[in-house]
Amino acid sequence: MMNQREKLFPPGTSPLEDRHVLEVRHDQSTSYPYSGTPSEGSSWPNYGVDNSHTQNGYPSNSTYGYEHHVLPSHKDSVNGATEASSLSLGSTSIGQDYNGYMTYQNSTDSSGYGNTGYTGYYSVYQQQPQNSYAQPVASYQSTSAPYHPPASYQNTGSCASSSSYSNTYYNPPIYQSPAGYSSSNYSNQTSQWNGATYSSYTQYPYSNYPPASTSAYSSSNASLSSAQYQPQYNQWAEHYAHAEVSCAPGTEKLSVTASSQVESVNSGITHGTTTTVSSQPTPPIAATWRPDTGSLEVPPPQPSGTVVVGYDAYWKHTASGYHNHHTPSGQSNYLQSSDAKAAYSNYPEEQKSAYNQSNLQYPQVPQSHQMSEQINTSATIQSVSRVQIPTNPRIVSNLALGLTKTEKAAPEAKPAYISVSYPKTNEKTSVGDATNSTLKPGVFPKSLRGYVERALARCKGDAQIAASQAVMKEIITNATTDGTLHTRDWDAEPLFPLPDVNNLSKESQTPTSFLLFKKSPTRRTKSRWEPVAEEKSAGVSTPKNNNAIRYGGWKQVTARDQKALVDSSEEKEDMVQAPSISNVEHKFANIQKRFKKPRLSVNVTATENGDASSDSDKDVNLTAEERKKRESRSKRFGKGRGNHAEKGHVKPKVAGLANLYTRRATAQVLSKPLDDSGSRAVEDIDWDSLTVRGTCQEIEKRYLRLTSAPDPATVRPEEVLEKALLMVQNSQKNYLYKCDQLKSIRQDLTVQRIRNHLTVKVYEIHARLALEVGDLAEYNQCQSQLKTLYTEGIEGCHMEFTAYGLLSVILHSHNVRDLLSLMSRLSSDAKQNAAVRHALAVRRAVTSENYVMFFRLYKTAPNLNSCIMDQYADKMRYRAVTCICKSHRPTVPVSYIAQILGFAHTMAATDENDEKESDGLEECAAWLKAHGACLISDNSGEAQLDSKASATTLYVPEPEDAVAHGDASLAVDDFLTSAPS
Amino acid sequence: MAAYLSMGEAHRRINDYLNRFADSVMSQDVGSLKSLLTLTADSPFLLAVADSISLVQDGNRLIKQSEKYSQLAEILVPLLRAIQCYRVNNLADAYHAFEKAANAFVQEFRNWDSAWALDAIYVVAYEIRVLAERADTKLSSEGKSPEKLKAAGSFLMKVFGVLAGKGPKRVGALYVTCQLFKIYFKLGTVHLCRSVIRSIETARIFDFEEFPNRDKVTYMYYTGRLEVFNENFPAADHKLSYALKHCNLRKEANIRMILKYLIPVKLSLGILPRDWLLEKYNLVEYSKVIQALQRGDLRLLRNALEENEDRFLRSGVYLVLEKLELQVYQRLLKKIYAIQKLKEPGKAHQLKLEVIIKALKWLEIDMDLDEVECIVAILIHRNLVKGYFAHKSKVVVLSKQDPFPKLTGKPMGS
Repeated sequence: MMNQREKLFPPGTSPLEDRHVLEVRHDQSTSYPYSGTPSEGSSWPNYGVDNSHTQNGYPSNSTYGYEHHVLPSHKDSVNGATEASSLSLGSTSIGQDYNGYMTYQNSTDSSGYGNTGYTGYYSVYQQQPQNSYAQPVASYQSTSAPYHPPASYQNTGSCASSSSYSNTYYNPPIYQSPAGYSSSNYSNQTSQWNGATYSSYTQYPYSNYPPASTSAYSSSNASLSSAQYQPQYNQWAEHYAHAEVSCAPGTEKLSVTASSQVESVNSGITHGTTTTVSSQPTPPIAATWRPDTGSLEVPPPQPSGTVVVGYDAYWKHTASGYHNHHTPSGQSNYLQSSDAKAAYSNYPEEQKSAYNQSNLQYPQVPQSHQMSEQINTSATIQSVSRVQIPTNPRIVSNLALGLTKTEKAAPEAKPAYISVSYPKTNEKTSVGDATNSTLKPGVFPKSLRGYVERALARCKGDAQIAASQAVMKEIITNATTDGTLHTRDWDAEPLFPLPDVNNLSKESQTPTSFLLFKKSPTRRTKSRWEPVAEEKSAGVSTPKNNNAIRYGGWKQVTARDQKALVDSSEEKEDMVQAPSISNVEHKFANIQKRFKKPRLSVNVTATENGDASSDSDKDVNLTAEERKKRESRSKRFGKGRGNHAEKGHVKPKVAGLANLYTRRATAQVLSKPLDDSGSRAVEDIDWDSLTVRGTCQEIEKRYLRLTSAPDPATVRPEEVLEKALLMVQNSQKNYLYKCDQLKSIRQDLTVQRIRNHLTVKVYEIHARLALEVGDLAEYNQCQSQLKTLYTEGIEGCHMEFTAYGLLSVILHSHNVRDLLSLMSRLSSDAKQNAAVRHALAVRRAVTSENYVMFFRLYKTAPNLNSCIMDQYADKMRYRAVTCICKSHRPTVPVSYIAQILGFAHTMAATDENDEKESDGLEECAAWLKAHGACLISDNSGEAQLDSKASATTLYVPEPEDAVAHGDASLAVDDFLTSAPS
Repeated sequence: MAAYLSMGEAHRRINDYLNRFADSVMSQDVGSLKSLLTLTADSPFLLAVADSISLVQDGNRLIKQSEKYSQLAEILVPLLRAIQCYRVNNLADAYHAFEKAANAFVQEFRNWDSAWALDAIYVVAYEIRVLAERADTKLSSEGKSPEKLKAAGSFLMKVFGVLAGKGPKRVGALYVTCQLFKIYFKLGTVHLCRSVIRSIETARIFDFEEFPNRDKVTYMYYTGRLEVFNENFPAADHKLSYALKHCNLRKEANIRMILKYLIPVKLSLGILPRDWLLEKYNLVEYSKVIQALQRGDLRLLRNALEENEDRFLRSGVYLVLEKLELQVYQRLLKKIYAIQKLKEPGKAHQLKLEVIIKALKWLEIDMDLDEVECIVAILIHRNLVKGYFAHKSKVVVLSKQDPFPKLTGKPMGS
């Protein structure tokens, strides 16, 4: 659940959740009191839980309003169970429901339900989560059937399926969360649905629930639903609440807690899950519930008071409250059930009985519903919860059967649960508490609970409690991972040293959490297990719970379910408390969840749950006065929370986004906008705002091809680049080093989008360097860049490079069209330029194969024109010799060839002409021999080319320096020597 | 066009246009369809329709009102917009809309079994090219990047794909090919022609001769020009001669265009045109070149090239003409040989380099020994002169039989 919350809301976002929660809570709170009144007795805790769930989960009021708007019929149905029957679905389903229930429970665990009405709804959702969902719904309907209220339920169910479901389903966002199916749907609906159905549900469930639900609780439906829901929850906290509501119908029925509270739906779901885990406990709970339900039904109007109590209890108990709840009856049952799987077998029976009871109760529930609705939303809520409860029992029985399965699925669902709790901050908190409590009772050994309680008992102050909870979470998590959770002797386990409060206080800084803490203490005094300490701890524990939730949504959820069932009233209170704290945490958890799905949290939550259970026990023991006090408190809370929740609503998403962003490297500027809008056209990006401004002051920088957005810290600004260029120009190092440096300069220029004289200069220098060493690839890059830079009007050695361009087209590409277009574009000024004229003359020489002219031009080439011609010289020589061999007879002196073919040209500069010529001769002779020419010496001893003999023997030798990849400058040895630089 | 147009009249005109369009499609009346698609002809009817559309803001509603029109809505809606945009000289938008309409029309055409609308496709292909050219002209004059012609090229490639299969529609492929050629030559992306040419020339199932004459001539003209670029003169000669032979004699502009390339090609093959041909088709820029060839006057050739450098460079024959220099040298040597034969028949086959240099000097061309030796070597090498060069004595020794072989349609040897 934590995870979900986190996903939904970033840490900071908790306020949003709170807002939601608050609204919900208000409703809930009102409902709570009601529930409280009815349940007053032992049932209270349960009620309280339910209420709290509902409250937490979603404002019953808001939901109510929604319901009214959305589903008038539902309202009616809710109001009057009989009217509910008017909802054909509801009525029909009622009868069927029972049957369906049975079938559900028996056959489908989760899927069966889903199949009934849900399948359609959840085409997508059909998967386990869906199934469970569906089941809940089915259960809902069935429950509704049994109950008159069921009619309303059915309505709700039907509505949910039809209207509400569609809504939810439609909501794409919701959908996104796989687990969230229902939740999403629900969430959408929820707003409406939850209001109506939920409220009604909650009321009903509560009344009915307590009895049946307890059993149901633990088990099955809840678990199933929870599992399904959980995913949803995770993603959509808000939705969750709704989802829960929708689920609630089914789930509620199944899991009392879930169903009981509209909001609690979420919690209920969680409960359900928890129940699944702890399905065993449910039976006992069921027993407790029934009484509660009975009381609930009657009191609905009154419940508000009780509810309030529940709130208080929640607050106080938060974590511990759960324990208390459990302790009364449910706890023991839970424990037992959890311990002994046999409980499962019992479940069905119990459930059945519960069903019957629930049915019986249902009629009442409807009444209560009507009453409650009319009177107060809270009352309705309570009634709803009651109704749900009854259904839950059935579901529970079913669930119990399928619980094992559900449990399997549950792990996945857990995250969802967490999220569920998130959506409804209140609910969440409640859920969290519930999860804690439920988890603890169901999953964790008693001894562990005792351990936790002991640990918390010595805590002074909320901060310490929170800290110890955190520590315990870790311990339990470790134990779970170790597998020693159940084998370890927790009674003998030494307590960990008290954590530093200061650190803790930071954690619980959120105002809401503080509030919770403050309130929680009051309750704790009453809690059996750990009177004062627990109270404090409860406040603290909620945060922990949340954390726990984060860690393991599952266990928490299950725990919640259990708690909800057992301690519904208390849990509610706890939930309320927890929510605020948990909200913040949840946000974090959600965020975390987004990235990682929690797995370990279960253990932690379980421990917390144990605490909670103790609290719940306390709640059970509360006197009427206390309840009233609690009611008033809870009301206050609700308001306060409402504000928080409002804030939270807005913030969570934003915060979440912000969080996500912060996680990313600043360099990924581009990716952010993309994330924001989902998709963004490249052309929409404001490149100016993304242009890097370098801050690097290093003059020397190796070139590295960028594989990501540039980091300003490694990019040199223009002034530094100028220095770098100077450094390269004056460097005595080889070309590879210079090339590397120049490329890095070019890169920095490009990255900063600097296009000015410096850019031109860099490219010109690099192009010249490349030409000198014959690095055509690099030269071409520079040349093409220069071409665009020149056309942009940036001054440079335009003519020089025009000549280079002409020459390279003439000598390398041989593309007639390119040459023609280049020539036709030459301005008359350009044609007067020496370099360009030279290039044009070379072109003429080449096209006419005038080798004499070519090598004369070669010798007189300005700039680096000769460098380009260099590459063509050999070809030209070969052609010339071929030509000479064909045309000249009988011989041609090598000296002449050496002269006209430019072999002596390198010597021209030196003083010793003779040597030069001779050098040229030797070179020429060697070249001629290498190309297969026949050399003879005449009478005077001068070397002669035997043209006739050579005409047939000339060939082009393989270049000696050929490299496999065709670029000698990249030869390995050269590369290695250059590498160190 | 009426200075003032009433709403009713405007509606009537638009409806008239829509009606005609729909009817022509229904009755497969290509003639009337063509006229309705010809945007750039500035026909009074279309102009009136354009004015009407400007007046009636909801022209599209008229299309949707009637089922008769709405079937063709994908064509008509953008078409009306194109007509309107063209009228107000918004050529870029007109092109855009027309391409949309053309695309829809081509899709319709693809679904028709018969090729009755082939002529309409021709019109579409033509209009799309002309519109794109005009739009680009306007865009570049406004400082925007002209890219419509490029878009038209890719659109016509699609049309070509629709037509190039088997069946009666294939006849239209060559027309589209020619439009593509025009675009590619204009854009300077002639390398893109290759794929189209391959698809035309490798189709065994369809004889080239079955294409319409008009398209064949155009096709041969462009492919001949491509061969000029490739300096494959025999192939260029073949294609351009084919084009000339099949070209409608009354289309003098077309004949001139063909001759513009055919003459240099023929010259490089050693075949000189008569003067009246140059005069008739106003190709006098070649006359000096031809004179230079006849006289062996290198200076005249160089002057002629210099004079018309821009024109020759743009048409792409500059390099071809430049290569005629060797033939001028050959002519020069031949003249020297003839003179020597008159003076000294016995030693006529021995040409001294100094004589050649002296002759060039008369032409005000300064060349030293090495250069002239090089030229002579190249002439011998290229089979323009039979004989050998004695380096020691600096003498060209000519073959006694046919020392200056004529090219007569064959390219210079290498």
